[in-house]
Amino acid sequence: MSGNDEYDYLFKIVLIGDSGVGKSNLLSRFTRNEFNLESKSTIGVEFATRSIQVDAKTIKAQIWDTAGQERYRAITSAYYRGAVGALLVYDIAKHPTYENVTRWLKELRDHADSNIVIMLVGNKSDLRHLRAVPTDEAKQFATENGLFFIETSALDSSNVEQSFQLILTEIYRIVSNKAIESSQDNVLPGAGAQIIVPSADDHTKSAGGCC
Amino acid sequence: MSSNSRQAHSTSGFWRRSPAYVPSKIDIIYSGVGAQVGKPDSGRPSSSTLAQAAAAAVESTDAALPLAPPPVAGSEDETSQQQEELGTANGIDTALNPGVIAADPHEQKFHALLSASNVDIEQLQKQSWKGIPSKHRSTAWCLLMGYFPLNAGRRELTIQRKRKEYDDWVRQTFSRGEEALDRTLWHQICIDVPRTTPGSALFQNERIQRSLERVLYCWAVRHPASGYVQGINDLLTPFYYVFIEPHLLGTGDQETAAVDVGLVSGLADKDIGAVEADSFWCLTKLLDGIQDNYTHAQPGIQRQIIKMKELVARIDGPLAAHMDSEGVEYIQFAFRWINCLLMREVRLSSTIRMWDTYLAEADGFSTFHIYVCAAFLLKWSKTIQQLDFQQTLLFLQKPPTESWTGKDIELLLSEAYMYKCLYHNSPKHYQ
Repeated sequence: MSGNDEYDYLFKIVLIGDSGVGKSNLLSRFTRNEFNLESKSTIGVEFATRSIQVDAKTIKAQIWDTAGQERYRAITSAYYRGAVGALLVYDIAKHPTYENVTRWLKELRDHADSNIVIMLVGNKSDLRHLRAVPTDEAKQFATENGLFFIETSALDSSNVEQSFQLILTEIYRIVSNKAIESSQDNVLPGAGAQIIVPSADDHTKSAGGCC
Repeated sequence: MSSNSRQAHSTSGFWRRSPAYVPSKIDIIYSGVGAQVGKPDSGRPSSSTLAQAAAAAVESTDAALPLAPPPVAGSEDETSQQQEELGTANGIDTALNPGVIAADPHEQKFHALLSASNVDIEQLQKQSWKGIPSKHRSTAWCLLMGYFPLNAGRRELTIQRKRKEYDDWVRQTFSRGEEALDRTLWHQICIDVPRTTPGSALFQNERIQRSLERVLYCWAVRHPASGYVQGINDLLTPFYYVFIEPHLLGTGDQETAAVDVGLVSGLADKDIGAVEADSFWCLTKLLDGIQDNYTHAQPGIQRQIIKMKELVARIDGPLAAHMDSEGVEYIQFAFRWINCLLMREVRLSSTIRMWDTYLAEADGFSTFHIYVCAAFLLKWSKTIQQLDFQQTLLFLQKPPTESWTGKDIELLLSEAYMYKCLYHNSPKHYQ
């Protein structure tokens, strides 16, 4: 917990999605390389950070993990404000958690900045024999809705690093392009910094499933 | 970091001596007048207040040994602390020296109180404040919760009636299979029960988990204003543990025997049913008092967070200023402290000890809990003042309580009691 680490950019990211899809474990895998099969449910929000390097710049991700249960929406949606990225997580083995993605997108539309970068994350890709959501279907949904898409497994680590790298890099790209446009050296998003998100078609890309 | 703050704290020598749960009987003893109390420079109680408190304590008949912890305060020592949270640890008294127990006047008082034909509830509250001996806890909790009648003559019949009432509900509710249940609610309960106290062998037992599911579901469908909210599963476990514990004591005398989870499979349905019903009714009573913690937008928690913030600002100005300047919001860390009554921050055995006192306090789970939360935060004041926003949140999400013993919990309760005495009903005091 050593102090004032230097960074070039600070990006606030939220982790959302139904209860039990593995949001907290995605976060602990990314920030501490830990996975806990018996982790307790998240109450309200939990917080973690990690810094990564992109183009020789240090990007610090400030990640807010939210409780999945509906009752907590009133509390958790307050944390969407100022977030420049959202990982919207579902469980590839539980179809209802995928069906609810639409509702989560509405939550983001209602409470988050309109230009937030969203990545759809199909977690628990290790549960191959229990797969209930086909990769192609989710990929197509992501394309149609202008979302990034990736499948991950917090349990076996696959694509976890990539998912965060991808969304952070994308946000960085948008922010640094914006900075060039406005001839500013340092743009720290969060405090109302404008991020231009290109149209859905040319902005969507798939990082592929692992199955 | 943790060692610093603990060290800083250990210099704060004061013990709540007497079991006076009645606020007028202030009986806090400071090991030195004007003692640091591990607390901030500003807002420290004035020496005249301390003198008054000390004087009040001396008047109290129980304050004969002013500067030592009360007999029960040290009951959970290092041995029990090292035991697994549950499944082996036998509540608070596990590590008490049996020789001491035999002559333990505190235990004898409980025996006398609970055998009375009409339980003196004020005396029971007063004694319970200091902690309840584990062999009396189950009965004492049911009486303190208002679940068991104080009149011994009416007790057995009432208990039988309540257990049957719950049993009938369960039959009725689950008679048409899982398909007839509220799907969303049932799903939420089913994914939360396996991650309830996951480190405990008892709560990982299949039979116990099915039992917890029934309690939570029955409670939720009867309380549609809130329904089941994550964290309520945590609140069920202290009751369940305390009520099942007497059924699971292995060999050894009643005070030293450890809970043997292997005995669960041998329990009669009737016994599990009784534990389940008693847990249901006590959970119901508990939640009746804090229901707006769990209704839409959780206004009870929001209100208590504001109170806690105001309280901390009055007690510890520098800490409040530091947190303000770092942009740390109370809702970011204290939400869970209130939603789960600090159960995520301390071990279950510690929670059980805390609840002895909460049950003895008026509005223990709402009003008094805020003072406990404030005292909990203030414990780390010096540490937090060295931390920035992110470090503070990471620290407060996982405060270093792993090594806490019963003494730490009782000190926390004492500090909370002191703050309540000083600040409750005196909103301008020390402002």
